[in-house]
Amino acid sequence: MPYDLRHADVRVKWLVTCLLATFGIAYAFGAWMVTLYAGFRPATVAAAYAEAEMPMTMPPESTMVLEHRMELSDFSEAAPHRVDRDLLIQDTHVHVPIYGLIAAALACVVLGLALPRWAGLTLITLVFAAPWLDFAGMWLTKLVASRFALLTVVGGWSMGAGYTLIAGLAIWQMWGPRKGPST
Amino acid sequence: MTFVLALATMLLHITPTVVLVTRPAAVAALLPDAQTFLAREIHLSDADAHRLHEAVDWSPEDGVLTFYTGRNGDAVTGALTFVRVDTPHGPVEIAVGFETSGAIRKVVVTKATVETKPWLIEALRAGLTSSYEGMQPGATPDGAGAVQSAVGPMPAYMAERVDRGVARALAAYGTFYR
Repeated sequence: MPYDLRHADVRVKWLVTCLLATFGIAYAFGAWMVTLYAGFRPATVAAAYAEAEMPMTMPPESTMVLEHRMELSDFSEAAPHRVDRDLLIQDTHVHVPIYGLIAAALACVVLGLALPRWAGLTLITLVFAAPWLDFAGMWLTKLVASRFALLTVVGGWSMGAGYTLIAGLAIWQMWGPRKGPST
Repeated sequence: MTFVLALATMLLHITPTVVLVTRPAAVAALLPDAQTFLAREIHLSDADAHRLHEAVDWSPEDGVLTFYTGRNGDAVTGALTFVRVDTPHGPVEIAVGFETSGAIRKVVVTKATVETKPWLIEALRAGLTSSYEGMQPGATPDGAGAVQSAVGPMPAYMAERVDRGVARALAAYGTFYR
């Protein structure tokens, strides 16, 4: 195969290295953001994405008014960060295409690695399937049951595993020690 | 390292909310003389929800409008409501306070997102919320028009979204609170 990162021009190697470094920085800050808003456990992910319980599912026959007293302290919000259906629609719309582009970029790096065909296919599948699992988990958590938050956690870990494997292999093959004369 | 990177990739898509003003601080600013508060939950019938939707293209979450009435002894000092406006860049929440006469006393932007915060701050610094003061139900908010010449396109866009939230609060207050 003519595209082989081990023997690529140094400019191509540098491009791939910069791309991977940029993704790494983005992912690191992503992790920081996750710690702030959803956490890393299925329970906390479910708290962010599960549909809130509806105290009243049907509108009344005629508009009705309920009143109760409050103190100023009652206005404080301690509720966890919640992503409702409208926000999840928006998140899916915005992020799935971006995830696709990131997966495509990582898949292009995979094509330049010296790997058996099955390993390349596995890695390419992994980088695309991870965000599918991620968003499938969110939607199933919202629409079906909280236990599907596990899918989102698995999707997130899969994304991390895919990136780490590809970045590690690429850096090693491009810049690692090599037998024989260098090109 | 692998562990950190794996964690790093989880849930990159969350739209983070930023609290600009806490709700208690907003209540204190909008109902400064109130000693006690009464929450009024208005559960809209289908017909009333439709009427509100026709008026301002909006339905409140779960079909419930919530107003908070401030009291000092037996005297009502005003009312306020919190309204959420969704944007492609994340939700914005505003608090709209009303005088006992029904005019807007003040508007406070309480929540934004990491992305929208700087745009909203720029619009607020240009005097966005002062343009709403004194407005009566039935009036059309135009804070975006008031700050347009002083801000960039994204702050102006966010100002238009805040206008939308204020219009919803005015319609809800004028139709269902009074």
